[in-house]
Amino acid sequence: MAPRTRRARGARQESPEEVASPEAPPTALETAELPDRTQDGIETVENEKDEGNQKEAGPESSESPTRSDNDQVAGQHRSPSPKPGHSPIYTTHPQSSSPPERSPLRSSPSPSQQLRAQSSSRTPRKSRSRSPVHLEPHAEPQFQSPERPKRLHYRHVADLPPSSHPFSTVKISPSGRLLAAGSSNGSIFIHNASTLALEHVLEGHLAGVSVIAWSSDGNILASGSDDKSIRLWNTVTGKPFRVPLVGHDNYVVSVAWTPKGNILVSGSFDEAVFLWDVRGRRIMKSLPAHSDPVYGVDVARDGTLICSCSSDGLIRIWDTATGQCLRTLVHEDNASVTSARFSPNGKFVLAWTLDSSIRLWDYGERRRCLKTYQGHKNEKFSLTGSFGVYGSRPPDAAKSPAEMNGYSDNEKGQKIDGEGVSRSRYIHPFAFIVSGSEDGSIFFWDVGSKEVLQCLDGHSGPVLGVDAHPTEPMVVSCGMDGRVKIWRDDGASESSNAGSGAENDVHMEDATDGVDQEIKLES
Amino acid sequence: MNLALVDPFVLAQDCPEALTETLRNGHATCIRFNHNGDLLASGRLSGTIVIFDIETNGVACKLRGHTKQVQSLSWSSNDRFLLSASQDWKCILWDLQDGTKVRTIRFEAPVFMAELHPKNHLRFVAALFEDQPMIVSLEGGAPVKVSLSSMPKRSQAMKDNLTEKQAAQDAKNTATVALFTPDGSHVISGTNKGWLNIIDPETYQTLYSNRVTQAVIILVRLTASGRDMVVNSSDRIIRTFQLPDLGSPSLDWDSLHLEVEHKFQDLVNRLSWNHVTFSSTGEYVTASTWMNHDIYVWERSLGSLVKILEGPKEELTVVEWHPYRPFVAAVGLDSGSVYLWSILAPQRWSALAPDFVEVEENVDYVEKEDEFDIQPIEEIHKRRLDGEDEDVDVLTVEDAGTRFTGHVARIALVSGEEEFKMPVFLDVDNADSEDEIVAIGTGQFRKKSPGTGKEWMNESETRAGSTGVASGDERAVNGNGRTDRKRSRKG
Repeated sequence: MAPRTRRARGARQESPEEVASPEAPPTALETAELPDRTQDGIETVENEKDEGNQKEAGPESSESPTRSDNDQVAGQHRSPSPKPGHSPIYTTHPQSSSPPERSPLRSSPSPSQQLRAQSSSRTPRKSRSRSPVHLEPHAEPQFQSPERPKRLHYRHVADLPPSSHPFSTVKISPSGRLLAAGSSNGSIFIHNASTLALEHVLEGHLAGVSVIAWSSDGNILASGSDDKSIRLWNTVTGKPFRVPLVGHDNYVVSVAWTPKGNILVSGSFDEAVFLWDVRGRRIMKSLPAHSDPVYGVDVARDGTLICSCSSDGLIRIWDTATGQCLRTLVHEDNASVTSARFSPNGKFVLAWTLDSSIRLWDYGERRRCLKTYQGHKNEKFSLTGSFGVYGSRPPDAAKSPAEMNGYSDNEKGQKIDGEGVSRSRYIHPFAFIVSGSEDGSIFFWDVGSKEVLQCLDGHSGPVLGVDAHPTEPMVVSCGMDGRVKIWRDDGASESSNAGSGAENDVHMEDATDGVDQEIKLES
Repeated sequence: MNLALVDPFVLAQDCPEALTETLRNGHATCIRFNHNGDLLASGRLSGTIVIFDIETNGVACKLRGHTKQVQSLSWSSNDRFLLSASQDWKCILWDLQDGTKVRTIRFEAPVFMAELHPKNHLRFVAALFEDQPMIVSLEGGAPVKVSLSSMPKRSQAMKDNLTEKQAAQDAKNTATVALFTPDGSHVISGTNKGWLNIIDPETYQTLYSNRVTQAVIILVRLTASGRDMVVNSSDRIIRTFQLPDLGSPSLDWDSLHLEVEHKFQDLVNRLSWNHVTFSSTGEYVTASTWMNHDIYVWERSLGSLVKILEGPKEELTVVEWHPYRPFVAAVGLDSGSVYLWSILAPQRWSALAPDFVEVEENVDYVEKEDEFDIQPIEEIHKRRLDGEDEDVDVLTVEDAGTRFTGHVARIALVSGEEEFKMPVFLDVDNADSEDEIVAIGTGQFRKKSPGTGKEWMNESETRAGSTGVASGDERAVNGNGRTDRKRSRKG
C-alpha cells in the first residue's frame, strides 16, 4: 500500500477528535475558518510525523508568501501513470510545499514547458510518494470547516457501445436520469444514466452533431449540427419536433437553453449568436457577436445573461432581454476560446482556450481572470467540461466507519440549496472542474486551489466532451476514439485496491444494480 | 443577475419612453400581465385566449373555450391558473400546466369582470351585467354562487330620512366592478350609481359605502400593496384614493372616510378615459383615452401629467403596466394588436472592446511606471499565476432575484403554493389566425377551409366542463405543421 494512502487513512482516523473540538461549529462556515486552519496545521504536523517526513511544514504552514508558489506547483505535480492496466486513480500531491531544490520547475509556466514539467513528473508512483511533499494546510482563505478531500477517486465502471465515429459531445440530463451522446455521424444516442440501456437513437441530422443541450425540464434535447440546422427532440418519445431551426449559414457548434426553456441560444461558424424563440422556431434576436466562429455559448442560471466565446479570443457577456453586450473579456495572450460556461451560481465564466488552459473569469466589476487551470493538453480541439461537486459525504453515504464517526456531528445543518449542481449530498461541497485533454486523459481540478485532484486515462484519442452528473459522483466522457466512458467515485476506501486490473467487478458496492449488470455484460 | 452589469441610468428609469414592439395574434380585447411578469394573457374578440411570452414576443399558449368576446382575465398568485370572463355568460378557470379547463362556470348574464381570490384560486368574485356582484366558490363539486348586495350601506339615521325616491335609487344599484383586495380580506365593488362598496367576503355584509361620483364607475384598480386605489368613472374623471389597511382589526368602518387624493381629467377636451392602471409601484397612473391615440401617464406625488406615450395610429382600450418593469402594454381598438412601450437601452460600445471606457470629457493618460517594460515571458506567466490566489465560490447562489421585484411582485405568493413554471409547448398552432390563406407547400397557398381551427366549438359543453381535457388534445389535432412555415416567414 502506498504511503500516501496510509496518510489519508491517518487523517481520517484523527477526524473524530477534530470534530469533537469545540471550535468548529458545523454551520457557521466563515467563523469556523480561523480555528480550522490552525487545526489543520496541527493535524498535518501529526501526519508528517507519522510519515517520518518531518519538514518545515508546520511553521511554514500559515505563511502566505509561500502560498502562491504552492498553487503553481500544485498545478504541475501530478503523476498520472502512463501505463494502461495500472491504477486509474492518479492523485496529485495537492498543495505540496515545494522544497527549494524544485524551484526550476516552479518557474516554468509556459504551456510547452508546462508539458515538459508534466512529463518529468510522471514518475512511478512509489518513488513519487517518497518525494518530500506533505499536505500543507497553508493559508488558503477557503471555508475549510470540514477538511477538503485532497483527491477524487473516480474509476472507470462502464463503456457505452463504441462507435467508429468520434463522439463530439456527451451531456447528462438535468435530472440525471438520461445521458445523451452526439456522434459525428449525425446520430444522437440517449441512454439511461443508471442502467446505461439505450433508450433512443435520434437520427435526422445530415451531418455530424457538434453539440447537444438538455432543456431544464429534460424533455427536450437541442442539437446543433454541421448541416447548419438545430433540431429539437422530444426525449420521451425520441421523435424530433417537426421543423428544425434553420437560419445559420454555417456549422452550428454551440447551443444553450434558458432556464425557462423558451429561448435557445446558438453560436455558429457564421460568427453570429442567435436567440431563437423556441415555440415559434424563429430567430428572435441576432447578436453581432464575434469576428470568428462562435465556439461556445451558455446562459446563466437565471437566464438574464448569455456568454459567448470565439476563436477571436473574446468572451462576451450579453443581456438576454435587450441583446446588449455588457462585458467583453479578453486575455492578453488572445488565445482562441473554444468553450465557455457559467459557474453553477452564474457569477463566473469558465473558458477553455487553445493554449492548454482553462480560465475562470470574474465578469463583474473586476473583469479579470481569477484562476488558470493547467496540466491538460488543448491546442486543437474544442474541449468541453463541467463543474461538479465533491466533499465529505454524510454518514449514510459514507462507507468506512472512520468516516462515519468523523463527520457524524456535521451531518445536519448545511443544506445549501442551489441549482445546476446539487450539493445536499455532501456535508460541505467543494467544486471541481472536469475537462478532457487531447492526450486522452480527463483532469479534475479543485476550483479554489487549482490543484489537480485526479487524472484519468482511458481514451485513446482526445477527450472532447466530459459532463458531471448533477447529483451522483459520476462523470461521463466521450472522445475521438468513438467511446463513451462512465466513471464513478465510490469513495476513498477503495483507493488502496484500485491498482488491480480487475477492479471493475470488485468495487461496485456503491454503484446501482443497473451499472453492475452493465458491467457484467461488458466483461 | 444582469443587474450588476446594466447601466444604472437605464435601471433608474421607471417610466417607459418609446413604443418598442407590437404583438398580434387575432383581435385582442383585453390583456393582463401575470405576477411573474413574463407572460401576457390576451383575450380575443373570438373568445380565444392567447398567452404571449413577452421575453420572446411569441405565443406561449392558446386556450379555447369561450365563444364571445373575452371581458377580463385574472391570474392566480402563482401564475398557474387563469380565470377568464366572457360575454358568453361564462367564466372559465384554466390550468396552464397543460392548458386544460379546471372549471367552467355559467351565469345568467354576461360577465363584466371576474377576479380571482389572491390566495385561493378556487374562489373568485364576478361582476355581472345589470346584476349584483357574486362570490363564487369552486371548492366543492358544483360552484357555489353567493350574490352580494350592491345597496349602499346607510346608517340608521340616514335610513330613517331616506325618501322613497332615494330608496328606489339604492335598489337600482347594480355592480359594474368587483375585485378582491390583494390580501383577499375584502371585496371592493363599484356600482352604476357611483357607489363604492367594501364588502366582507366571509359574512357577505357591506362594511362601508361611499358615493365617489354621480356617474357609473367603470373600473377600480388597486396597487399590489392594496393601499392605493384608482377609480375611473364615466364623468371623465380619474380619482385616486389612499386606502387604510383594510385587514387591520382596529379599523372602524363607521368613521372611515375615503378622501380623493387626485383627480385626473382633461379640462380642455373633456376626454373620457377608456381604461386606467397603476404603475408597478403605484407611483404613476396610466390611462388610455377615448378618440385619442395616446396614453397618459400621471405621477401621483404631485398629480402632474409627466408623459404621453405615442405611437399607434388608433384608439387604445385596455392598458396594463408590467408588475415590476417600466413596461406598458395597450390594446388597439380597431386592429386588436397589443402595443408595448418600454425603455430603449442604448448600445454600450465600450462593452464591446474591453480596454475602452466611455468618457464624458478628455482624460489625460498617465503611464504606469512599468507599463512598457519588457519582461521575460516566463516572468509574466509566473506573476499571473501567482496572482490567482483569491478565493472563489462558484456554488453558492445569491438570492438576487428579489431585489428587482422587491415588495411588489411576489407579495401575493402564498406559502404552500409552490412556484409554477409554465411548460413550453412546442406545438402551438396558428390554425385559427385571422388570415384566410394558408400555405400548403413551398409557394402553394389555398383558402382556409371553413371551420378549420374551430373544431373545439363542436365539443359538448359538459365534456369541457367536467372532464377538463379540452385544448390540450385540440392542440395536437390542429397542429398540422403547415402554418408554421408561414409564421416563420412573416417573422
